Amino acid sequence: MLVVEQLVKEYGDLTAVDDVSFEARAGTVFGLLGPNGAGKSTTINCISGLLTPTAGRIAVSGHDVIKDGTAARRSLGIVPQELALYEDLPAVDNLRYWGKAYGLRGTALEDRVATVLELIGLADRAKDLPKEFSGGMKRRLNFGCGVVHQPKVLLLDEPTVGVDPQSRAKLFDLVETERNSGACVLYTTHYMEEAERLCDSLAIIDHGKIIAQGTVAELKAQLGARDALQLNGQFPDSATSEAIEGLREDIADLEILSQAEDSLLLTLSAASHHLPKIFAAISGAGGNVTETSLRSPNLETLFLLLTGKELRE
Amino acid sequence: MSFLLASVRKDLARWAQDRTAVLIWLGIPFLIGGLITSMIDGGGGSPTGTLLIADEDDSLLSGFVVGAYSQEQLGELIIVEQVSAKEGEARINDGEASAFLTIPEGFQDALLNETPVTLTLKTNPSQTILPGIIQDVTEILLDAGFYLQRLLGPELRSITDAGFEGAPSDAFIAAISVDIQHKINRIIDKTDPMAIDLQIVGPPPAEPQPNYALLFLPGIILMAVLFASNSLAADYWIERDKGTLRRLVSAPGALTGFVAGKAIAAAAVMGVVTAVVLVVGFAYHGIVWSKFIPSLVWVSLGGVGLFAWLAALQMMFPNNRAANLVTTILLFPLLMAGGSFFPLAALPDWIANIGRLSPNGFIADRLTGELTSATTWSIDAQSWLTVVAITAGGLAVSVLRLRTGFARR
Repeated sequence: MLVVEQLVKEYGDLTAVDDVSFEARAGTVFGLLGPNGAGKSTTINCISGLLTPTAGRIAVSGHDVIKDGTAARRSLGIVPQELALYEDLPAVDNLRYWGKAYGLRGTALEDRVATVLELIGLADRAKDLPKEFSGGMKRRLNFGCGVVHQPKVLLLDEPTVGVDPQSRAKLFDLVETERNSGACVLYTTHYMEEAERLCDSLAIIDHGKIIAQGTVAELKAQLGARDALQLNGQFPDSATSEAIEGLREDIADLEILSQAEDSLLLTLSAASHHLPKIFAAISGAGGNVTETSLRSPNLETLFLLLTGKELRE
Repeated sequence: MSFLLASVRKDLARWAQDRTAVLIWLGIPFLIGGLITSMIDGGGGSPTGTLLIADEDDSLLSGFVVGAYSQEQLGELIIVEQVSAKEGEARINDGEASAFLTIPEGFQDALLNETPVTLTLKTNPSQTILPGIIQDVTEILLDAGFYLQRLLGPELRSITDAGFEGAPSDAFIAAISVDIQHKINRIIDKTDPMAIDLQIVGPPPAEPQPNYALLFLPGIILMAVLFASNSLAADYWIERDKGTLRRLVSAPGALTGFVAGKAIAAAAVMGVVTAVVLVVGFAYHGIVWSKFIPSLVWVSLGGVGLFAWLAALQMMFPNNRAANLVTTILLFPLLMAGGSFFPLAALPDWIANIGRLSPNGFIADRLTGELTSATTWSIDAQSWLTVVAITAGGLAVSVLRLRTGFARR
């Protein structure tokens, strides 16, 4: 349904998207997970036709977005990161307007608008102006405007940024409804837990490049059973490295992900069992630990493993 | 078509909520136009001065002098007020009149007896033209009085000596008239000019010129239209900031309908603004109402052209503030050149010709022609085509700019 092949987008010397390829199927949610500035929105903008790719190919429902842009866009729905509403028009008129923009007419339009109002939970506020709505209600209406024409491919660009937990849960339900109705959903986020909950498959993107791709289960398997152990304190440079390397005889999969004078990030299996040995080794090397944080394997750990930095940095 | 109508309705519904803007678009031109028109029309078209006269003699001849200032064209220039010497002195000192003439007691006797008499004329130094006119007229009157006394002194004396308490008898008037006629007959050969038949050939009669205030009306209308155009043109930036343009360019084939919808909505707004000013202008100047529709259509169409190009220009700038600032600054030379502050007809030809090349000047010039011509729908086809082409060009540039990056944020 959505095919992206070797997509490149350059701005002068800056390569915002670098050789990105993925495929998302109908009835699934494909996630693009990455920190701010990783290239997620640029990728979505290339798909939606807002940006012209420097190289590569994008096909929506079999239509090339460059060569056959109008047909491709007919199958697309977009829920932008920032609100895209007429706050001085009633909610129902917003839905009608965007429905007409995608070619809906007459009773088909009215029926669909009524359905979407129910879906987003604004049927009783249909004639109210969005400027009187809460942030969560505006987000839901923003979502409704993107799906009013029942797109085959739905692009969701960080739809939950700045949304309260209750509205976020409602938006998750809406995304799942679209997936269950057969839409192909591309969902960008920098929230690991959102990706884990919603996405059938995903790609982790950083500095414009995809650094890992697969189902959530496949990606977690890349980690094995390794935990991420974050230590803060004082860590003399070479002595600490040597001491940790010395532990490899007992802890085979121990690996230093990153090291600084005041922090140390390690991955290893069953980390909690090995903590005394690690503390002793660091102490023996002249260092000390003031704070410890242990995370079990998840996508955030994988991102740490792959990039050496936090997802939200 | 459905999306086009939806776009029109959408923009009209949104713009209708901003009633303050409509009041400003109309208020400023009405204020300026009202001030200018009242300055031009307020005094009936000609400046007038006030002559205060203290007639202390209160005689037949002093009455002739007082009456002489109110005769024919002089009466249109000078308003004569009879006052006491004290009041006249106070008012001329306060600058409330152009001049103050005192006719002293004994004026008639002195004139008839050929004894010296002094009339005092005090003029207002803060005025230049009218006091001068009054002074010249007074000197001419005194000269005329001298010759009148020389010629008809006995007759005048007999009138004053008669001392009528009521109207003089018919016999007395007849006798005096006969005496005067005889004297005129005796001197007429010496005073009549030679019998030369002089034919004065003047220029052919010119078409009646419209009044100056009427010439202001097109400029005032275009001022309101320019304010409205510039304000509505900023709506593209508002939509961009709302993010709706991003959603729009992702929709298939919606861009043309969106821009056309804005143009039609803008035309409707221009129509309302123009209609209000036209109704007031037509009623004030007594213009025939058959010219209302062509004037309304012409200005509304031209207004959409101005809107289209101002919008295209605003979309060239990197941010909303710069766009707004530049087009607002641009409005003033356009208003100046286009005849909103000075009617093109009142400007030197070379300046007026430049003004007519400005978009609003072009529209105002043709509108002036429509309002002042003897026929309706007098604007030529070439002018209509020019405005249609310019409007279409502006809208095409707007679509292009939306496609080439303006919609991105």
